[in-house]
Amino acid sequence: MINWNGKRRWIALILLIAGIVVMLTVPPIIPVIQLPGEVYPGGGNLPMTNTLMASIVVWILLGLLLIYVRGAMPKSGDEVPRGGFYNIFEMLFEGLYGFIHNIVGEKHMRYIFSFFMTIFLIVLLSNWLELIPGIDSIGFLEPHAEVDEATGEVVTEGGYETMTVLFGAQALNPKCPWVSPEEAASLTVEAQAARIVNNCKTGTGAPVAETAREEEPAAVATEASTEAAATETTATEEAGVEVAAADTSDEETSGEAVVEESGAEAGEEALHHVPPGDASVPWVVLPFLRAPSTDLNMTAALALIAVVMTQVLGFRELGIGYLTKFFNFKTLFSSPLGGIDVAVGLLELIGEFAKILSFSFRLLGNIFAGSILLFVMSFLVPFLPWPFFILEFGVGALQAFVFGLLTAIFMSQATAGHGEHHEEQEDEHANTAEYPVEVDTAEGLNPAEAH
Amino acid sequence: MEESVLLAGKAIGAGLAMIGALGGGIGIGLSVGGAVQAMGRNPDFASTIQTNMILGVAFAEAVAIYALVVSLIILFVLA
Repeated sequence: MINWNGKRRWIALILLIAGIVVMLTVPPIIPVIQLPGEVYPGGGNLPMTNTLMASIVVWILLGLLLIYVRGAMPKSGDEVPRGGFYNIFEMLFEGLYGFIHNIVGEKHMRYIFSFFMTIFLIVLLSNWLELIPGIDSIGFLEPHAEVDEATGEVVTEGGYETMTVLFGAQALNPKCPWVSPEEAASLTVEAQAARIVNNCKTGTGAPVAETAREEEPAAVATEASTEAAATETTATEEAGVEVAAADTSDEETSGEAVVEESGAEAGEEALHHVPPGDASVPWVVLPFLRAPSTDLNMTAALALIAVVMTQVLGFRELGIGYLTKFFNFKTLFSSPLGGIDVAVGLLELIGEFAKILSFSFRLLGNIFAGSILLFVMSFLVPFLPWPFFILEFGVGALQAFVFGLLTAIFMSQATAGHGEHHEEQEDEHANTAEYPVEVDTAEGLNPAEAH
Repeated sequence: MEESVLLAGKAIGAGLAMIGALGGGIGIGLSVGGAVQAMGRNPDFASTIQTNMILGVAFAEAVAIYALVVSLIILFVLA
Protein backbone atom coordinates (compact mmCIF):
# COMPACT_ATOMS: atom_id res chain seq x y z
CA MET A 1 0.00 0.00 0.00
CA ILE A 2 2.80 2.41 0.85
CA ASN A 3 5.55 2.89 -1.69
CA TRP A 4 8.87 2.32 0.04
CA ASN A 5 11.15 2.35 -2.99
CA GLY A 6 14.27 4.25 -3.78
CA LYS A 7 14.99 7.49 -2.06
CA ARG A 8 11.93 7.20 0.16
CA ARG A 9 13.54 4.49 2.24
CA TRP A 10 16.46 6.75 3.01
CA ILE A 11 14.24 9.67 3.86
CA ALA A 12 12.21 7.53 6.23
CA LEU A 13 15.34 6.17 7.88
CA ILE A 14 16.84 9.63 8.27
CA LEU A 15 13.64 10.94 9.82
CA LEU A 16 13.50 8.03 12.24
CA ILE A 17 17.10 8.50 13.33
CA ALA A 18 16.60 12.26 13.64
CA GLY A 19 13.59 11.61 15.80
CA ILE A 20 15.53 9.35 18.13
CA VAL A 21 18.45 11.80 18.31
CA VAL A 22 16.18 14.73 19.15
CA MET A 23 14.37 12.61 21.71
CA LEU A 24 17.63 11.93 23.51
CA THR A 25 18.85 15.51 23.50
CA VAL A 26 15.55 17.22 24.32
CA PRO A 27 13.41 14.77 26.27
CA PRO A 28 9.66 15.38 26.23
CA ILE A 29 7.68 16.93 29.03
CA ILE A 30 4.29 15.72 30.16
CA PRO A 31 1.95 18.65 30.67
CA VAL A 32 -0.36 19.37 33.56
CA ILE A 33 -3.71 17.76 32.86
CA GLN A 34 -6.88 19.19 34.29
CA LEU A 35 -10.47 18.70 33.31
CA PRO A 36 -11.84 22.26 33.40
CA GLY A 37 -10.56 24.70 30.84
CA GLU A 38 -7.62 26.75 32.04
CA VAL A 39 -8.32 30.42 32.64
CA TYR A 40 -5.91 32.88 31.08
CA PRO A 41 -3.84 34.67 33.70
CA GLY A 42 -4.51 38.31 34.22
CA GLY A 43 -8.15 38.01 33.24
CA GLY A 44 -9.54 39.77 36.25
CA ASN A 45 -13.26 40.35 36.11
CA LEU A 46 -13.81 38.78 32.71
CA PRO A 47 -12.07 35.40 32.78
CA MET A 48 -11.55 33.68 29.48
CA THR A 49 -10.61 30.03 29.19
CA ASN A 50 -8.42 28.60 26.51
CA THR A 51 -11.18 26.27 25.38
CA LEU A 52 -13.52 29.20 24.84
CA MET A 53 -10.86 30.92 22.78
CA ALA A 54 -10.44 27.76 20.74
CA SER A 55 -14.21 27.70 20.19
CA ILE A 56 -13.92 31.16 18.73
CA VAL A 57 -11.20 29.87 16.43
CA VAL A 58 -13.54 27.07 15.36
CA TRP A 59 -16.28 29.61 14.56
CA ILE A 60 -13.87 31.67 12.50
CA LEU A 61 -12.76 28.58 10.60
CA LEU A 62 -16.35 27.59 9.92
CA GLY A 63 -17.10 31.08 8.72
CA LEU A 64 -14.19 30.90 6.31
CA LEU A 65 -15.39 27.51 5.12
CA LEU A 66 -18.84 28.93 4.53
CA ILE A 67 -17.52 31.84 2.52
CA TYR A 68 -15.30 29.57 0.45
CA VAL A 69 -18.02 27.06 -0.33
CA ARG A 70 -20.49 29.76 -1.26
CA GLY A 71 -17.97 31.32 -3.56
CA ALA A 72 -16.87 28.09 -5.15
CA MET A 73 -20.33 26.72 -5.76
CA PRO A 74 -21.05 26.37 -9.48
CA LYS A 75 -23.80 28.59 -10.85
CA SER A 76 -26.98 26.96 -12.06
CA GLY A 77 -26.57 25.26 -15.40
CA ASP A 78 -22.83 24.98 -15.03
CA GLU A 79 -22.09 21.33 -14.46
CA VAL A 80 -18.32 21.40 -14.84
CA PRO A 81 -16.87 19.19 -12.11
CA ARG A 82 -14.59 21.13 -9.84
CA GLY A 83 -11.44 19.84 -8.26
CA GLY A 84 -9.87 20.55 -4.97
CA PHE A 85 -11.34 21.06 -1.58
CA TYR A 86 -14.78 22.00 -2.87
CA ASN A 87 -15.07 18.62 -4.49
CA ILE A 88 -14.34 16.83 -1.25
CA PHE A 89 -16.81 18.96 0.60
CA GLU A 90 -19.51 18.32 -1.94
CA MET A 91 -18.84 14.59 -1.83
CA LEU A 92 -19.12 14.59 1.95
CA PHE A 93 -22.26 16.70 1.84
CA GLU A 94 -24.05 14.54 -0.68
CA GLY A 95 -23.09 11.35 1.10
CA LEU A 96 -24.42 12.62 4.41
CA TYR A 97 -27.53 14.02 2.75
CA GLY A 98 -28.36 10.63 1.27
CA PHE A 99 -27.68 8.89 4.53
CA ILE A 100 -29.88 11.20 6.58
CA HIS A 101 -32.55 11.07 3.93
CA ASN A 102 -32.75 7.31 4.43
CA ILE A 103 -33.33 7.77 8.11
CA VAL A 104 -35.54 10.79 8.29
CA GLY A 105 -37.77 10.94 5.25
CA GLU A 106 -38.52 13.91 3.08
CA LYS A 107 -40.85 15.93 5.23
CA HIS A 108 -38.58 17.18 8.00
CA MET A 109 -35.36 16.95 6.04
CA ARG A 110 -34.73 20.68 6.03
CA TYR A 111 -34.96 21.18 9.79
CA ILE A 112 -33.20 18.01 10.77
CA PHE A 113 -30.44 18.12 8.19
CA SER A 114 -29.55 21.70 9.10
CA PHE A 115 -29.00 20.66 12.68
CA PHE A 116 -27.18 17.51 11.69
CA MET A 117 -24.73 19.25 9.40
CA THR A 118 -24.08 22.16 11.74
CA ILE A 119 -23.47 19.96 14.73
CA PHE A 120 -21.33 17.64 12.62
CA LEU A 121 -19.09 20.44 11.34
CA ILE A 122 -18.72 22.15 14.71
CA VAL A 123 -17.88 18.95 16.54
CA LEU A 124 -15.57 17.77 13.74
CA LEU A 125 -13.48 20.94 13.84
CA SER A 126 -13.49 21.02 17.64
CA ASN A 127 -12.24 17.43 17.75
CA TRP A 128 -9.60 17.78 15.09
CA LEU A 129 -8.17 20.94 16.59
CA GLU A 130 -6.22 18.95 19.17
CA LEU A 131 -4.16 17.29 16.44
CA ILE A 132 -2.58 20.50 15.18
CA PRO A 133 0.99 20.91 16.43
CA GLY A 134 1.27 23.72 18.87
CA ILE A 135 -2.27 23.61 20.16
CA ASP A 136 -1.73 22.00 23.56
CA SER A 137 1.96 22.77 23.82
CA ILE A 138 2.55 26.48 23.27
CA GLY A 139 1.27 28.84 25.87
CA PHE A 140 1.94 30.95 28.91
CA LEU A 141 4.61 29.96 31.38
CA GLU A 142 2.98 29.86 34.78
CA PRO A 143 4.48 29.15 38.18
CA HIS A 144 2.91 25.96 39.45
CA ALA A 145 2.44 27.06 43.01
CA GLU A 146 -0.38 28.25 45.19
CA VAL A 147 -0.58 30.41 48.23
CA ASP A 148 -2.03 28.35 51.05
CA GLU A 149 -4.82 30.48 52.45
CA ALA A 150 -4.52 29.33 56.02
CA THR A 151 -0.83 29.87 56.55
CA GLY A 152 0.06 32.25 53.75
CA GLU A 153 2.85 29.99 52.60
CA VAL A 154 3.59 29.24 49.02
CA VAL A 155 2.84 25.59 48.26
CA THR A 156 4.61 24.26 45.19
CA GLU A 157 3.72 21.30 43.05
CA GLY A 158 5.61 19.55 40.29
CA GLY A 159 7.11 21.45 37.40
CA TYR A 160 10.23 22.27 35.47
CA GLU A 161 12.78 25.00 35.34
CA THR A 162 12.91 27.43 32.49
CA MET A 163 15.62 28.12 29.98
CA THR A 164 16.07 30.57 27.18
CA VAL A 165 15.95 29.22 23.68
CA LEU A 166 16.46 31.09 20.43
CA PHE A 167 15.44 34.71 20.07
CA GLY A 168 14.92 35.21 23.77
CA ALA A 169 11.87 33.01 24.07
CA GLN A 170 11.48 31.10 27.30
CA ALA A 171 10.88 27.40 27.40
CA LEU A 172 10.72 24.63 29.97
CA ASN A 173 14.00 22.85 30.43
CA PRO A 174 13.24 19.17 30.02
CA LYS A 175 16.40 17.98 31.69
CA CYS A 176 15.79 19.88 34.89
CA PRO A 177 12.65 18.93 36.77
CA TRP A 178 12.26 21.37 39.59
CA VAL A 179 13.30 20.12 43.00
CA SER A 180 12.16 21.83 46.13
CA PRO A 181 14.75 22.80 48.72
CA GLU A 182 13.73 19.86 50.93
CA GLU A 183 14.28 17.39 48.13
CA ALA A 184 17.50 19.08 47.06
CA ALA A 185 18.98 18.37 50.44
CA SER A 186 18.46 14.66 49.94
CA LEU A 187 20.07 14.36 46.51
CA THR A 188 23.24 12.34 46.23
CA VAL A 189 26.47 13.89 45.03
CA GLU A 190 26.25 12.12 41.69
CA ALA A 191 22.72 13.40 41.15
CA GLN A 192 23.85 16.91 41.98
CA ALA A 193 26.75 16.62 39.59
CA ALA A 194 24.40 15.44 36.84
CA ARG A 195 22.19 18.43 37.43
CA ILE A 196 25.14 20.79 37.31
CA VAL A 197 26.13 19.29 33.96
CA ASN A 198 22.64 20.02 32.63
CA ASN A 199 22.83 23.64 33.77
CA CYS A 200 20.06 23.24 36.29
CA LYS A 201 19.60 25.88 38.91
CA THR A 202 17.93 23.81 41.61
CA GLY A 203 19.11 20.51 42.97
CA THR A 204 22.77 21.47 42.87
CA GLY A 205 24.67 22.03 46.05
CA ALA A 206 24.46 25.80 45.70
CA PRO A 207 21.58 27.75 47.20
CA VAL A 208 18.97 29.05 44.79
CA ALA A 209 18.86 32.80 44.49
CA GLU A 210 15.59 34.52 43.71
CA THR A 211 15.90 36.88 40.80
CA ALA A 212 15.05 40.42 41.62
CA ARG A 213 11.37 41.18 41.35
CA GLU A 214 10.95 44.39 39.48
CA GLU A 215 8.79 47.06 40.97
CA GLU A 216 8.19 49.11 37.82
CA PRO A 217 4.65 49.21 36.41
CA ALA A 218 5.43 47.30 33.26
CA ALA A 219 7.18 44.06 34.01
CA VAL A 220 7.22 42.12 30.83
CA ALA A 221 6.79 38.38 31.10
CA THR A 222 7.43 36.58 27.89
CA GLU A 223 5.61 33.40 27.30
CA ALA A 224 6.53 30.46 25.19
CA SER A 225 7.05 26.80 25.79
CA THR A 226 8.12 23.61 24.21
CA GLU A 227 6.96 20.10 24.63
CA ALA A 228 7.72 16.91 22.84
CA ALA A 229 10.95 16.28 21.16
CA ALA A 230 10.57 14.57 17.82
CA THR A 231 10.59 16.29 14.52
CA GLU A 232 7.57 16.94 12.43
CA THR A 233 7.00 14.80 9.38
CA THR A 234 7.81 16.27 6.06
CA ALA A 235 6.74 13.41 3.86
CA THR A 236 5.12 13.98 0.49
CA GLU A 237 1.58 12.91 -0.27
CA GLU A 238 2.61 9.58 -1.69
CA ALA A 239 5.48 8.56 0.50
CA GLY A 240 4.84 6.66 3.65
CA VAL A 241 4.62 8.80 6.71
CA GLU A 242 7.41 7.83 9.02
CA VAL A 243 8.30 9.10 12.42
CA ALA A 244 7.09 11.66 14.72
CA ALA A 245 4.11 13.80 14.19
CA ALA A 246 4.83 15.48 17.48
CA ASP A 247 4.46 19.13 18.24
CA THR A 248 6.76 21.83 17.02
CA SER A 249 8.68 23.89 19.46
CA ASP A 250 10.56 27.09 19.86
CA GLU A 251 8.13 29.59 18.52
CA GLU A 252 8.49 33.11 19.60
CA THR A 253 5.30 34.49 20.98
CA SER A 254 4.43 38.00 21.85
CA GLY A 255 5.25 39.36 25.22
CA GLU A 256 2.59 40.21 27.70
CA ALA A 257 2.79 43.26 29.86
CA VAL A 258 1.94 42.59 33.43
CA VAL A 259 1.07 45.57 35.46
CA GLU A 260 2.25 45.20 38.96
CA GLU A 261 0.28 46.72 41.77
CA SER A 262 2.23 49.04 43.88
CA GLY A 263 2.90 47.82 47.35
CA ALA A 264 2.07 44.17 46.68
CA GLU A 265 4.91 42.17 48.06
CA ALA A 266 4.30 38.69 49.35
CA GLY A 267 1.32 36.56 48.41
CA GLU A 268 -0.70 35.89 45.35
CA GLU A 269 0.16 38.94 43.32
CA ALA A 270 3.87 38.45 43.73
CA LEU A 271 3.48 34.89 42.57
CA HIS A 272 2.00 36.04 39.28
CA HIS A 273 4.70 38.55 38.65
CA VAL A 274 7.64 36.22 39.00
CA PRO A 275 9.82 36.62 35.93
CA PRO A 276 10.26 33.39 33.98
CA GLY A 277 13.94 32.97 34.63
CA ASP A 278 13.32 32.51 38.33
CA ALA A 279 14.24 29.15 39.77
CA SER A 280 12.51 29.50 43.12
CA VAL A 281 9.20 28.19 41.78
CA PRO A 282 8.44 25.34 39.39
CA TRP A 283 7.04 26.27 35.97
CA VAL A 284 4.39 24.69 33.82
CA VAL A 285 2.77 25.61 30.54
CA LEU A 286 -0.76 26.96 30.30
CA PRO A 287 -1.67 26.36 26.64
CA PHE A 288 -3.02 29.19 24.53
CA LEU A 289 -5.58 26.95 22.91
CA ARG A 290 -7.10 23.60 23.82
CA ALA A 291 -9.58 21.51 21.85
CA PRO A 292 -13.05 22.80 22.78
CA SER A 293 -14.53 19.30 23.03
CA THR A 294 -12.32 18.63 26.02
CA ASP A 295 -14.37 21.11 28.02
CA LEU A 296 -17.60 19.86 29.55
CA ASN A 297 -19.14 23.30 29.06
CA MET A 298 -18.98 23.02 25.29
CA THR A 299 -20.25 19.45 25.03
CA ALA A 300 -23.05 20.05 27.52
CA ALA A 301 -24.08 23.18 25.62
CA LEU A 302 -24.31 21.27 22.35
CA ALA A 303 -26.19 18.43 24.04
CA LEU A 304 -28.71 20.87 25.52
CA ILE A 305 -29.22 22.53 22.16
CA ALA A 306 -29.76 19.19 20.46
CA VAL A 307 -32.27 17.87 23.00
CA VAL A 308 -34.19 21.13 23.38
CA MET A 309 -34.52 21.59 19.64
CA THR A 310 -35.79 18.02 19.43
CA GLN A 311 -38.58 18.92 21.81
CA VAL A 312 -39.27 22.09 19.81
CA LEU A 313 -39.66 20.01 16.67
CA GLY A 314 -41.99 17.64 18.48
CA PHE A 315 -44.20 20.48 19.68
CA ARG A 316 -44.16 22.14 16.30
CA GLU A 317 -45.20 18.94 14.61
CA LEU A 318 -47.72 17.44 17.00
CA GLY A 319 -48.81 20.44 18.99
CA ILE A 320 -49.64 19.83 22.60
CA GLY A 321 -50.27 16.20 21.71
CA TYR A 322 -46.51 15.74 21.88
CA LEU A 323 -46.87 15.54 25.64
CA THR A 324 -48.90 12.34 25.36
CA LYS A 325 -45.60 10.66 24.59
CA PHE A 326 -44.56 11.26 28.15
CA PHE A 327 -47.84 11.44 30.03
CA ASN A 328 -49.83 8.66 28.45
CA PHE A 329 -53.11 8.26 30.29
CA LYS A 330 -55.16 7.08 27.33
CA THR A 331 -55.16 3.40 28.16
CA LEU A 332 -55.10 3.81 31.92
CA PHE A 333 -58.78 2.99 32.41
CA SER A 334 -59.62 1.26 29.16
CA SER A 335 -57.28 -1.69 29.24
CA PRO A 336 -56.19 -3.84 32.22
CA LEU A 337 -52.51 -3.17 31.61
CA GLY A 338 -52.92 0.56 31.07
CA GLY A 339 -50.69 1.44 33.97
CA ILE A 340 -47.71 0.20 32.03
CA ASP A 341 -48.11 2.90 29.43
CA VAL A 342 -47.96 5.53 32.15
CA ALA A 343 -44.74 4.07 33.50
CA VAL A 344 -43.24 3.85 30.02
CA GLY A 345 -44.09 7.46 29.40
CA LEU A 346 -42.43 8.58 32.60
CA LEU A 347 -39.36 6.55 31.74
CA GLU A 348 -39.22 8.29 28.40
CA LEU A 349 -39.23 11.61 30.22
CA ILE A 350 -36.30 10.52 32.34
CA GLY A 351 -34.69 9.24 29.17
CA GLU A 352 -34.73 12.73 27.69
CA PHE A 353 -32.61 14.01 30.54
CA ALA A 354 -30.39 10.96 30.28
CA LYS A 355 -29.86 11.86 26.64
CA ILE A 356 -28.38 15.22 27.62
CA LEU A 357 -25.91 13.52 29.95
CA SER A 358 -25.14 10.79 27.46
CA PHE A 359 -24.45 13.18 24.58
CA SER A 360 -22.18 15.42 26.60
CA PHE A 361 -20.20 12.69 28.32
CA ARG A 362 -19.75 10.58 25.22
CA LEU A 363 -18.09 13.42 23.36
CA LEU A 364 -16.18 14.71 26.38
CA GLY A 365 -14.89 11.29 27.36
CA ASN A 366 -13.74 10.37 23.89
CA ILE A 367 -11.90 13.58 23.14
CA PHE A 368 -10.51 14.34 26.61
CA ALA A 369 -9.23 10.80 27.05
CA GLY A 370 -7.85 11.02 23.53
CA SER A 371 -5.92 14.17 24.35
CA ILE A 372 -4.49 12.54 27.47
CA LEU A 373 -3.55 9.56 25.33
CA LEU A 374 -1.70 11.85 22.92
CA PHE A 375 0.14 13.54 25.79
CA VAL A 376 1.19 10.26 27.35
CA MET A 377 2.20 8.66 24.07
CA SER A 378 4.22 11.68 23.01
CA PHE A 379 5.93 11.47 26.36
CA LEU A 380 6.65 7.75 26.30
CA VAL A 381 7.56 7.22 22.64
CA PRO A 382 8.37 10.64 21.22
CA PHE A 383 9.62 9.34 17.91
CA LEU A 384 6.58 7.20 17.25
CA PRO A 385 3.32 8.80 18.34
CA TRP A 386 1.75 8.93 14.89
CA PRO A 387 -0.45 5.80 15.21
CA PHE A 388 -2.23 7.49 18.09
CA PHE A 389 -2.66 10.68 16.13
CA ILE A 390 -4.27 8.68 13.36
CA LEU A 391 -6.51 7.00 15.94
CA GLU A 392 -7.57 10.38 17.27
CA PHE A 393 -8.27 11.51 13.73
CA GLY A 394 -10.69 8.60 13.29
CA VAL A 395 -12.22 8.90 16.72
CA GLY A 396 -12.85 12.62 16.27
CA ALA A 397 -14.60 12.13 12.95
CA LEU A 398 -16.65 9.19 14.24
CA GLN A 399 -17.79 10.99 17.38
CA ALA A 400 -18.83 14.03 15.37
CA PHE A 401 -20.84 11.80 13.08
CA VAL A 402 -22.41 9.89 15.96
CA PHE A 403 -23.44 13.11 17.73
CA GLY A 404 -25.13 14.45 14.64
CA LEU A 405 -26.68 11.12 13.71
CA LEU A 406 -28.19 10.58 17.15
CA THR A 407 -29.61 14.09 17.07
CA ALA A 408 -31.18 13.37 13.69
CA ILE A 409 -32.61 10.04 14.87
CA PHE A 410 -34.11 11.52 18.02
CA MET A 411 -35.59 14.37 16.05
CA SER A 412 -37.20 11.99 13.60
CA GLN A 413 -38.55 9.93 16.48
CA ALA A 414 -40.01 13.07 17.99
CA THR A 415 -42.04 13.72 14.87
CA ALA A 416 -43.34 10.18 14.73
CA GLY A 417 -45.53 10.56 17.76
CA HIS A 418 -46.49 7.78 20.08
CA GLY A 419 -47.34 4.40 18.63
CA GLU A 420 -46.49 4.92 14.99
CA HIS A 421 -43.92 2.61 13.52
CA HIS A 422 -40.78 3.72 11.78
CA GLU A 423 -41.50 1.64 8.69
CA GLU A 424 -44.20 4.06 7.61
CA GLN A 425 -41.64 6.78 7.07
CA GLU A 426 -39.44 4.46 5.07
CA ASP A 427 -42.27 3.67 2.69
CA GLU A 428 -42.92 7.37 2.17
CA HIS A 429 -39.47 8.37 1.18
CA ALA A 430 -38.66 5.32 -0.93
CA ASN A 431 -40.72 6.86 -3.67
CA THR A 432 -39.55 10.44 -3.33
CA ALA A 433 -35.82 10.07 -2.74
CA GLU A 434 -33.72 12.39 -4.87
CA TYR A 435 -30.43 10.61 -4.54
CA PRO A 436 -29.83 6.98 -5.22
CA VAL A 437 -30.40 5.16 -1.98
CA GLU A 438 -29.87 1.56 -1.12
CA VAL A 439 -32.98 -0.53 -1.15
CA ASP A 440 -34.10 -1.57 2.30
CA THR A 441 -33.94 -5.28 2.49
CA ALA A 442 -36.47 -5.94 5.19
CA GLU A 443 -39.45 -4.87 3.12
CA GLY A 444 -39.59 -7.07 0.11
CA LEU A 445 -36.75 -9.52 -0.01
CA ASN A 446 -37.41 -13.12 0.66
CA PRO A 447 -34.60 -14.56 2.80
CA ALA A 448 -34.25 -17.47 0.43
CA GLU A 449 -33.46 -15.10 -2.41
CA ALA A 450 -30.90 -13.12 -0.46
CA HIS A 451 -27.94 -14.96 -1.90
CA MET B 1 1.21 11.70 55.15
CA GLU B 2 -2.26 12.97 54.33
CA GLU B 3 -1.29 13.60 50.75
CA SER B 4 0.03 10.13 50.16
CA VAL B 5 -3.15 8.60 51.57
CA LEU B 6 -5.15 10.87 49.28
CA LEU B 7 -3.02 9.90 46.29
CA ALA B 8 -3.37 6.23 47.13
CA GLY B 9 -7.13 6.61 47.43
CA LYS B 10 -7.34 8.40 44.11
CA ALA B 11 -5.27 5.76 42.38
CA ILE B 12 -7.32 2.88 43.76
CA GLY B 13 -10.57 4.62 42.92
CA ALA B 14 -9.52 5.36 39.37
CA GLY B 15 -8.38 1.81 38.85
CA LEU B 16 -11.60 0.35 40.22
CA ALA B 17 -13.70 2.70 38.13
CA MET B 18 -12.19 1.34 34.95
CA ILE B 19 -13.62 -2.12 35.59
CA GLY B 20 -16.71 -0.81 33.84
CA ALA B 21 -14.86 -0.81 30.55
CA LEU B 22 -15.24 -4.57 30.60
CA GLY B 23 -18.88 -4.18 29.59
CA GLY B 24 -17.87 -2.06 26.65
CA GLY B 25 -15.47 -4.66 25.40
CA ILE B 26 -18.03 -7.44 25.64
CA GLY B 27 -20.70 -5.33 23.95
CA ILE B 28 -18.49 -4.35 21.06
CA GLY B 29 -17.38 -7.93 20.60
CA LEU B 30 -20.96 -9.18 20.49
CA SER B 31 -22.11 -6.52 18.06
CA VAL B 32 -19.21 -7.03 15.68
CA GLY B 33 -19.72 -10.78 15.90
CA GLY B 34 -23.33 -10.42 14.91
CA ALA B 35 -22.41 -8.05 12.10
CA VAL B 36 -19.78 -10.34 10.68
CA GLN B 37 -22.20 -13.27 10.77
CA ALA B 38 -24.79 -11.19 8.96
CA MET B 39 -22.23 -10.17 6.37
CA GLY B 40 -21.40 -13.80 5.84
CA ARG B 41 -25.02 -14.64 5.18
CA ASN B 42 -25.77 -11.63 3.04
CA PRO B 43 -22.64 -10.41 1.27
CA ASP B 44 -24.52 -8.05 -1.04
CA PHE B 45 -25.48 -5.77 1.81
CA ALA B 46 -22.11 -5.77 3.52
CA SER B 47 -21.78 -2.00 3.42
CA THR B 48 -25.17 -1.36 5.01
CA ILE B 49 -24.36 -3.86 7.71
CA GLN B 50 -20.95 -2.30 8.21
CA THR B 51 -22.43 1.16 8.62
CA ASN B 52 -24.85 -0.05 11.24
CA MET B 53 -22.10 -1.97 12.96
CA ILE B 54 -19.95 1.16 13.27
CA LEU B 55 -22.92 2.93 14.77
CA GLY B 56 -23.52 0.17 17.29
CA VAL B 57 -19.84 0.11 18.21
CA ALA B 58 -19.96 3.85 18.93
CA PHE B 59 -22.88 3.35 21.31
CA ALA B 60 -21.27 0.45 23.14
CA GLU B 61 -18.05 2.38 23.40
CA ALA B 62 -19.88 5.32 24.93
CA VAL B 63 -20.76 3.27 27.99
CA ALA B 64 -17.14 2.30 28.45
CA ILE B 65 -16.24 5.96 28.05
CA TYR B 66 -18.61 6.84 30.90
CA ALA B 67 -16.50 4.64 33.16
CA LEU B 68 -13.39 6.39 31.86
CA VAL B 69 -14.89 9.80 32.60
CA VAL B 70 -15.62 8.79 36.19
CA SER B 71 -12.05 7.60 36.51
CA LEU B 72 -10.70 10.87 35.09
CA ILE B 73 -12.89 12.88 37.45
CA ILE B 74 -11.54 10.92 40.38
CA LEU B 75 -7.96 11.53 39.27
CA PHE B 76 -8.05 15.13 38.16
CA VAL B 77 -10.98 16.89 39.72
CA LEU B 78 -11.26 15.62 43.29
CA ALA B 79 -8.88 17.49 45.53
